[in-house]
Amino acid sequence: MADKKKMSVAEILAAARAADGGAAAGAAKADAGEEPASPAAASPKPVPGKPAGAAKPTGEAKPAAGGARPSVSDILAMARGNKEPGATATKPAAEPKAKPAAAAKPAAAAKPAAPVAGGTKGVERDTASILAAARGGAKPGPVSKAEAPPRPAAKPKPAEPAAAKALPRVVPLKPTRAPLAAKKQDAEGEDRRSFLQIATGSFLAVGFTALSVTTGLFTLGLARFFFPNVLAEPPSKFKVGFREGFPAGKVETKFVAQYGVWVVNGEFQGQQQIYALKTVCTHLGCTPSWLEAEQKFKCPCHGSGFYKDGINFEGPAPRPLERYAIRLSDDGQLEVDKGRSFQEELGQWADPASYVNV
Amino acid sequence: MHADPFFLSDVAGFLGGYFAFLAVMNGIFALVLWRSYGQTGRALVWTVFAGAMMILSSLALSGSPSLVPALPDGVRGLVNTLSGPVLYSLGTVALCTVLFVFRSFFVRPMVAWTLFNAALVLMGLSMADQNFALIVMKPDNVPIVGLVFLLAFFTWVATKQAVVNDERIARGEPPMEKLDDEKVLVWPDLVYTELICMVAVSAFLLVWAICLPAPLEEPASSVKTPNPSKAPWYFLGLQEMLVYFDPWYAGVVLPSLVIFGLMAMPYLDFNKAGNGYYSIAERKFAYLTFQFGFLVLWITLIILGTFLRGPNWNFFGPFEYWTPYKVEVLNNVDLNQMFWVNWLDMPLPRAAVDAPWYSRIATVLLRESPGLVVLGLYLVALPPVLAVTIFRGMFVKMGFIRYMVMANLMLLMLSLPLKMALRWTMNLKYIVTIPELSLNF
Repeated sequence: MADKKKMSVAEILAAARAADGGAAAGAAKADAGEEPASPAAASPKPVPGKPAGAAKPTGEAKPAAGGARPSVSDILAMARGNKEPGATATKPAAEPKAKPAAAAKPAAAAKPAAPVAGGTKGVERDTASILAAARGGAKPGPVSKAEAPPRPAAKPKPAEPAAAKALPRVVPLKPTRAPLAAKKQDAEGEDRRSFLQIATGSFLAVGFTALSVTTGLFTLGLARFFFPNVLAEPPSKFKVGFREGFPAGKVETKFVAQYGVWVVNGEFQGQQQIYALKTVCTHLGCTPSWLEAEQKFKCPCHGSGFYKDGINFEGPAPRPLERYAIRLSDDGQLEVDKGRSFQEELGQWADPASYVNV
Repeated sequence: MHADPFFLSDVAGFLGGYFAFLAVMNGIFALVLWRSYGQTGRALVWTVFAGAMMILSSLALSGSPSLVPALPDGVRGLVNTLSGPVLYSLGTVALCTVLFVFRSFFVRPMVAWTLFNAALVLMGLSMADQNFALIVMKPDNVPIVGLVFLLAFFTWVATKQAVVNDERIARGEPPMEKLDDEKVLVWPDLVYTELICMVAVSAFLLVWAICLPAPLEEPASSVKTPNPSKAPWYFLGLQEMLVYFDPWYAGVVLPSLVIFGLMAMPYLDFNKAGNGYYSIAERKFAYLTFQFGFLVLWITLIILGTFLRGPNWNFFGPFEYWTPYKVEVLNNVDLNQMFWVNWLDMPLPRAAVDAPWYSRIATVLLRESPGLVVLGLYLVALPPVLAVTIFRGMFVKMGFIRYMVMANLMLLMLSLPLKMALRWTMNLKYIVTIPELSLNF
C-alpha cells in the first residue's frame, strides 16, 4: 500500500481537483486575506496554514498529508465564508422574509467548520465527507470545486442570489390548499363519488370484496378444469382376453405400449395366479423391460431388477412392482382395473382383487 | 475384433487426421524447444516421436484391417475382463492419490506433456476398436472427452502454481501472486475480455452444432424407456449415486447437502492461509476434501456413467459390446434381512394386517433396529469420537457447533463411497428400509 501504484478514490478526487484547482487555489488565496472576518476562519487551528494549504492539496496530494491540509468542509466553509458577506449584503435588499434563512446560514457554515477545528477530522476527503459537507451548506445548491471560483467573481451580481433566496418564499404558499378540505367537508353527502363509500362502508371493503369474489370464482373454475367432460385416455378398465391365452409362466408384454401393464401367469407364494403388474419401476418410475432369457424385469435407468412375480431383488428399487386389480368378468374374460393398485409391502397382495386363481 | 472392415474404412480418415495432428503438434513443440529454449536433445526426442506419429497416420489412412494401428486383442480382452465398478472406483482413487503424492514430479511441464501425449496416443489406438469408437465418437459424448482433457489441464495448472508457491513459502519467500499483484479495472479490462470470449465461444458452439449435430432419439413415451436411459452428462454422477440410494436421498438430500456444504464453507473454514494465492501445503485438509468430493465423487462418476454404463445400466468394459442381454447378478439384500434372517435365523418381524397403528410402528422400528443403530452410531456417536481423536485440533479451533456441522457434512459425503463399498462387498441394498413410508437409507 505504501507505494503510489494504487490511487484511492480520495486521491483521484484530489487529482481531479488539481486539474481545475489553479483558479480555485488563486481565489482561495485571495480570499484568505478577508477571511478573518468569517466565522469559519476564526477557528484556531487552520488559520496560519490555510493559505498555503489551500493551494497545496490541489497540487500534490500525498506529501502534504502531514502538513496543514484543509478538509473539504474547510474549503467549503471558506468559500461560504467569503460569500456570506456578499450574500448578507444583498439580503437586506431582498425581502425581509428571506432573513431567517440568512440567519440560519452562518450557523450552517459554522457547523462543518467546528469539527474541523476540533482536529482529527481535518484531513478527511473521501466522497462521503465531500457529500456531507456539500449537504451541510444546503442553500447554495450544488457546491462543487468547479463552481467555487466563479462565485466570488459573481459577487457583484446581486440579482441572482436574490432570486435564489426568493425561491423558498413559494413554499409557504402551499398550505393555502387547505380550503379544499374545508370544501369537501361542506360537500359531504352530496358528492356522487362517495356514494359507494357510503353504501358499503369504505373503498377498501369494496376492493377486497371484489378481490375475494374473483379469487373464489377463479378457484372454482380451476377445480372444474380437473374434471373434464371428455378424457382422451384409454379406459382404466379393459379386457385382456380369456384365461386360456395366458399359459403358466407367461409374461404378456403386448399391453405395455397402450395400457402400461404386464399380465403374468406366475407363481406367488406357492400359488399359481394371474396378476397384472404395473410397468413403473418403484425406484424412479422408468419402464423396465422384460428379459425372457433371464426371466426378470430389468430397469434401464439404474439397473433395478424384479423377479417374474414383481419382487425386487437387485439394484436400488426399494419395493416390489405394484399390481393392478384384475378379475374375471361376466363374459369369462380377464378384466384389468387400473383404478386400484396393490402394494406387496403393505400386505395388499393377499387381497383377492389383486389376482385371479388359475 | 478386427472383424468389421467397413467400420475401419470409415474411421481410417479420422484416425489419419488424428495422428497427423499429433505429429504436427509435437513437431511444433520440438521446434519451440529447440529455438526458444535451446534444448536440442529433447527437441530431437520429440521430433522422433512426431515422425512416429506420421507413420501411424499413414498406416491408419490405409484403412486395411492389418495395418490400422490398434491395441492388440489380448490387451483389449484383458482390460474388459478386469474392468468393473470396483476396480474402476478404486483405480481412480489410487490414481488421484498417486498424482497428489508425487505432484512435484507430475507438475513438470515435460512430464505433463509426455502423459498428455500418451493419453492421446492410447485414445487413438483404442479408437480403432468399434465398440470404443461407437461410444467415444457419439456426438453426445464428444464434449465429455474434451471435458476430461480440459479438466486435467486446469487441475494441472492450478497444482503447478500451488507447488511453486509451496516451495517458495518453504524457503520463506512470498507466493508468486504477491509479487505481481497489479490490479486491473472491471470495466473495461474484464468486461471486454468476457465480451470477446462470449462472441468467440458462441461462434465455436454454432460451428460445432452444425458439424456434429446432436442425434435425435425416438419420440418420448411414458411406457417406453430407452435402454440405457441416460441423464444429461452433468447429471450422470447423480444417476450413478441413484444406483446405490433411494431417490429421496441421492436425488434430493445429497445434492442439497452439496450446495449447503459449499455455502457453509466460508463459515467452517478457520484457516486464514492461502488467501489470494494457490497453495496445497497450507490448506491440505480443505484441498483434499474438495478434490475428493469433486474429482472422485463427481467427475469420475460422470465418466463412469458416460462411457462404462450400458444397457440395463450394467457395467461394460471400454472395448465391450453393449448387449442388452448381459447377465450380471446383483442380488442385493437389505440389512434387516441380513440381520434377522441370515444371522439370527428368524423371520422378519411383520405386523398382522389388522394390527393397530401403534403396533405397526413398533414392528417397523423393531425390524429396522439394526439399521437405525448403525445409522445412529455413524451420525451421532462418530463425530464426538472423531473430535477426541483425529479431528482433535480442528475441534479445538472450530468450537462445538462449527465442528458438528463440518463433521456431519463430511460423514454424509463419505456415506456415498461407503455405501458403494458395502454394495460391492456385502451386496447390501439399504441399511434402513421402510417401504411403508418410501423411506430408505
